Amino acid sequence: MSVGPVEPHVLATEDFLEEVHSFEFWFQAVEGYLSDRPYGRTPGLESPVLSEGDREALVTTLCNYCVGETMALEGASGMIGFAPNRQQKIFLATQAVDEARHLEVLLHRLQELGVEDAEAEIGRRANRSLLTFRDRLGRLVESKDWEAALFAQNVILECMEFTVFQTHAQTADPVTREVLEGIVKDERRHMGFGENDLGRRLAHAPHMRTRLAEIRKELDPLVLGTFEETLEELDTPRDARPELGRSYLAAVARLGFGS
Amino acid sequence: MSDFLSAYSIQNWLESCPQGYLLDTEYGHAPGEREPESLLESKALHEQAVRSTVQLVVGERCALAASSGLINAAPDHPSKRFLATQTLDEARHVEIFTQRLFDLGVKKDELESTIDQLANPHLVAFAEVLLEKVDKGDFIAGVVGQNIVLEGMAFSVFEMMQAANAQMNPKFAHTLSGTIADERRHVGFGENRIGSLIKEFPERKPEVEKMQKDMSYHMLATFSLAFSDQAAAFEEGRKLAAQSGDVAKPSKWHGTDLSVATPDQMESVLADTVLKEFKTRLGRIGLEYQTPSAP
Repeated sequence: MSVGPVEPHVLATEDFLEEVHSFEFWFQAVEGYLSDRPYGRTPGLESPVLSEGDREALVTTLCNYCVGETMALEGASGMIGFAPNRQQKIFLATQAVDEARHLEVLLHRLQELGVEDAEAEIGRRANRSLLTFRDRLGRLVESKDWEAALFAQNVILECMEFTVFQTHAQTADPVTREVLEGIVKDERRHMGFGENDLGRRLAHAPHMRTRLAEIRKELDPLVLGTFEETLEELDTPRDARPELGRSYLAAVARLGFGS
Repeated sequence: MSDFLSAYSIQNWLESCPQGYLLDTEYGHAPGEREPESLLESKALHEQAVRSTVQLVVGERCALAASSGLINAAPDHPSKRFLATQTLDEARHVEIFTQRLFDLGVKKDELESTIDQLANPHLVAFAEVLLEKVDKGDFIAGVVGQNIVLEGMAFSVFEMMQAANAQMNPKFAHTLSGTIADERRHVGFGENRIGSLIKEFPERKPEVEKMQKDMSYHMLATFSLAFSDQAAAFEEGRKLAAQSGDVAKPSKWHGTDLSVATPDQMESVLADTVLKEFKTRLGRIGLEYQTPSAP
């Protein structure tokens, strides 16, 4: 927990992976932005009173974020059992606790917004495309297909969340913004894990790219459908809607999985 | 239920564990602490240390697989979140005990073969009973097996090892103290969460009690094999301590002085302590302890 700072990029590949997938490295990474910030926000930070319409829209949005984070928690934890090696298992354990923390801070925010029974509210407001995505990811994890599950979880799902949270943070109230910014920092680490592992596998087995492209073909419409449904519920003007989809596609492409 | 589960939040875990008792540690011990030279130089003591640490890694790998596997089966958000913290605790334990093997000189590329070669077969069988329940998504049996039986065993084993190492190997004793604090939290969750579920589903009792009996049998067999050929290493450790001028201080654990106890006496006090704890904890959640046959 206090190991002196190590510059991971000067290490040999095996030592690099040992270092960046460790509990110690995780704690150093999160310590800076989680200490003194209970539930992901600075104590005493206040948010302007929201109109009923704005509050309703925010509750719907946060409920869907909770669906996404629960899915990510179940996905990351479910993959530990069949992760190929010890370092990957340990990294996924850190990811599981990150996802659980995201769920907790979002539920806490819902509580602040006056939602009393969050689980019931989430059930009522969950987006259909997102629920279909959850089922599909669950099946990939259940089938213990490492490459497919990692791609769906740490590339597609994490890119979707990264894009949405980063975009939302730009216009959110101060409390929601701070919560989302903390989450985005974790998502970067999770995306990096997926990119690194799949990148090395693709270098040795380029034919795998075709298989991942098939999975992407199936999941992309669900991601874009999720955006569309959510933006519809939020009454976002039609001409502003494609931007989110474009940002998501660009994020996936930046990781080396462009169409 | 939600009130007690709020005590097991991620926020509380962050404040009490990584930002609490693990602060300023490195792989669970103070930075710079090392394994004692006498241990590294003595063949008998070194072999014993590697063998016993392998069992810790095997146990913690099982705990990691079980706690992560139970998240999907958990019926509510707070339980899922607690199990996520437990998953990371167990991953940390895998990491620190694996690191101890490296500190003891096991080469990285020989880690898996060393574990395969030295893993106690009874401990492997113990793990299989639990992981079969987890694979089926059986939350009640999984939590009893993991958080009462496995964690209860680990808690006492770690406590005894910590007491036995406090004087001669502070590095290892410090490593163990963080894991003991973690296990205490895990056992607490198991007791608190599962009691209400046992009340709700009383028809599950016989099956869960049978699992406890099977796991207890394999646990006792694990202890029996683990202590069966320890006399030489114990003797060597005490001889080296005397030669170095370190007079072994009495180290009482549940009425037994570990500094002079024979392997048989240590096995006996460990088994008695764990089984007594099982009876108490199982009684609290409404289950009746089942006595296993003698291995």
